[in-house]
Amino acid sequence: MLAQLVVSGIGQGSIYALVALGMTILFRVTTVVNFAHGELFMFSAFVIYLLLNAFDVPYLLAALAAILVLFVLGSVVERVLMRPIRHAPHMALAMMTVALSYLLRGVVRMGWGGDVRSLPPMFTFDPVMLGTVVLAAQDIVTIGATLLLVAGFFVLLQRSRFGKLAQAATDSPRGAALIGLNVPGFHRTMWGVAAAMAAIAGILVAPVTLLYPDMGAQVLVRAFAAMTLGGFGNLGGAVAGGLLMGVLEQLAGFYVSTAMIDIASYIVIIVVLLSRPAGLFGRVERVRV
Amino acid sequence: MSDPRRLLWPALLILAALPPFFVNDYVQYILNSILVYAVVAIGFNIVLGYAGQLAFANAAFFGVGAYTTAICMGRWHWPFLPALLSAALVTALVGLVVSLPALRLRAYYLAIVTLAFGELLRWGYIHADWLTLGSSGLPVPAASMFGISLASDRARYWLFLCLTALVLWGSANLLRSRFGRAVVAVRENESAAAAMGIAPALTKIGAFAWSGCVVGIAGAMFALLLGRINPESFDLSQLLLHFSLVMIGGLGSLVGSVAGAVVLTAAPELLRNVAGLEEIVFSLLLIGVLLFMPKGLAGLLSRVAVLREHLYLG
Amino acid sequence: MALLEIESVSVVFGGLAALTEVSLTAEAGTVSAVIGPNGAGKTTLFNAVSGYERPQEGVVRLDGRPVTGLPPHAISRLGLRRTFQNGGLFGEMTVLENVMVGADRATRSGIPGVLFGLKRHRREERRAVADSRAMLARVGIDRLAQARVRDLSFGQQRLVEITRALISRPRVLLLDEPAVGLSQAERDVLATTLRQLAAEGIAVLLVEHVIDLVMAISDRVLVLNFGRVLAEGTPDEVRANQAVLEAYLGSA
Repeated sequence: MLAQLVVSGIGQGSIYALVALGMTILFRVTTVVNFAHGELFMFSAFVIYLLLNAFDVPYLLAALAAILVLFVLGSVVERVLMRPIRHAPHMALAMMTVALSYLLRGVVRMGWGGDVRSLPPMFTFDPVMLGTVVLAAQDIVTIGATLLLVAGFFVLLQRSRFGKLAQAATDSPRGAALIGLNVPGFHRTMWGVAAAMAAIAGILVAPVTLLYPDMGAQVLVRAFAAMTLGGFGNLGGAVAGGLLMGVLEQLAGFYVSTAMIDIASYIVIIVVLLSRPAGLFGRVERVRV
Repeated sequence: MSDPRRLLWPALLILAALPPFFVNDYVQYILNSILVYAVVAIGFNIVLGYAGQLAFANAAFFGVGAYTTAICMGRWHWPFLPALLSAALVTALVGLVVSLPALRLRAYYLAIVTLAFGELLRWGYIHADWLTLGSSGLPVPAASMFGISLASDRARYWLFLCLTALVLWGSANLLRSRFGRAVVAVRENESAAAAMGIAPALTKIGAFAWSGCVVGIAGAMFALLLGRINPESFDLSQLLLHFSLVMIGGLGSLVGSVAGAVVLTAAPELLRNVAGLEEIVFSLLLIGVLLFMPKGLAGLLSRVAVLREHLYLG
Repeated sequence: MALLEIESVSVVFGGLAALTEVSLTAEAGTVSAVIGPNGAGKTTLFNAVSGYERPQEGVVRLDGRPVTGLPPHAISRLGLRRTFQNGGLFGEMTVLENVMVGADRATRSGIPGVLFGLKRHRREERRAVADSRAMLARVGIDRLAQARVRDLSFGQQRLVEITRALISRPRVLLLDEPAVGLSQAERDVLATTLRQLAAEGIAVLLVEHVIDLVMAISDRVLVLNFGRVLAEGTPDEVRANQAVLEAYLGSA
């Protein structure tokens, strides 16, 4: 039973890991915490819903389209909403992402109402048995996609030229600009990338979950818990934190009570931030006068 | 000694006491709501605007104030005044508790932990049904004070007006003193404030407690206003409304807090018929203010000399 | 007994010795200066004295009373005031409000008095406003009273910071590079002001790079290099010190 819970937890946690990874990338590059990231995830799920239901587009095509739409949306958000106020205090930047989150929610609610919707399941191959543990089709796809993406992302960051430039632009925007790097363009791209990652999480989850305008908030909290657990700003930590959160939820839900699934994230956030804000893998910072 | 301000405010107060005599029930209810949200905005502004703390706990404070009042009056049958005082005190204590992480955590961490705290509280309202009656909500019986019945919206209006005026006056006094200056000084430059003999930790704790007290009073008013409170009233949409009140009205401005309430409170009423419209309008307003009018309405209003706010008396 | 005694203070940051056994005494009514190349530890010394750094070794005494390890606000309340090298002001507040924060230690009204607007609080506020305006006038910047500090020039900001430090009538005044960004005329005024303050009984301690100013007004000079005391004495003694000449003053 424990093994089953862990495996399901990893399947669920992969979604959190993807969202947390996107948020962490954005945070590292722009120092902005995107409170709208859950809504980007939600929006992509609804885009897929729209394409599948209203236009009868095959799933794979719809998925690609959703990723593209979100990439563009992320870029537009950066250019129109974030760049004009990039020098404003943290509060204003946070408020802007909060406003964005409500805007997306309102648009979706207006378009589809508050009703809960669902899609037919997309992955209909048989589950795989590993001993007594059942690995559902959904879990296989989700874990597989996440593994591929995370691995690909890290390879890109460490090995490729783009990755090196990205690290440069993150560590020292001014230095990067001096060597000819288009830093604003880079920020715009990274917003697009982060949104695209939220989209991937959305398209993986859309066929097996209930869609409603407020679903983003649930995922956002899990992603925060993942980032907090793994250490804010730590890319590997975000992924590890996400997987851990997934597992923790399943364990708490079974061994304690199902009500715990809702509040496991809140408790993790509160406990970690009050005892060791740096999380499991983060650095402890020292403030100097 | 004839500062025009000294005549202005009593005159305004008398003027403000007149509407119940000639407005209909619907408008009366809206006016009552405006007063409740004016107090909410003042309370939130203390922590967000004056103290500069990115604390997302305001909906939680609001809920604690409302639930304390409802539990005292609805379940334990207390009269209104003790319930109000309890709400203020309990919420101030909650503010104090929330201020402790604020001492150690920087901006975003504090935002996230207060968000988590607020949602945890809301889960508590739903699940601690032995106290709160859970999702079905807690009714608040009709109140009375000193023998005067507060069962009508009109009577409640005058009560709310008194409470709002008291909160405004008390907060203005505190701001125009070394306490208010200390709060802003710690926000602006914590090290320099310490060099002036100001204890940053105590100052932050005090700001949170003060904010909690004010928002707790607003919660009590809210309980009376609705006659029944339930957990959904204190979710993230409520938090957005609070943010909008403060950001659009003006961060760090009492006048702005009131202005924000006046402008925005009518909006949910008008916008609620179309699903999602309220969220869209509020978020666009918020975005507009962030991009073009960072000081909010207070920025415009401060052009009027008598509405300019100082951090000192005189 | 000196007003400020710094006794063999050492500060170490993660393996790096920023200050090693630095001692200095500042008597009431004198001007003392700390000079040295960049990175010599001058600001660290200030931080150690005013409570922003905790020395690993040594004692700091204010009027005989040990203050090592106390938090900055506690030390300030004992009569010490300091300025900061970069931005020690409250940017969004006006000049008058900044100075009033400096004066606030003198007010006595508690929260009830303030909350209910009692007479005593109103009286104290009015007096604080008047005192602040008077001090601003004395420094020559009273016309800037309603200006937002963030909008002022660097030199004006410096003046506001010094005014704010003075209004609480400190016994010990620490000034971190007060002459930076000032014109020659302004420096002359600064020099006169500092000597006046000393004449009023304050122990003035400054960190400075402008050697002429230091030599002209100081009673004692301490030279730091790599966190250690290189020389200590009157300006003439220090000027003649061979080690100092080699390390720092060049061909003075």
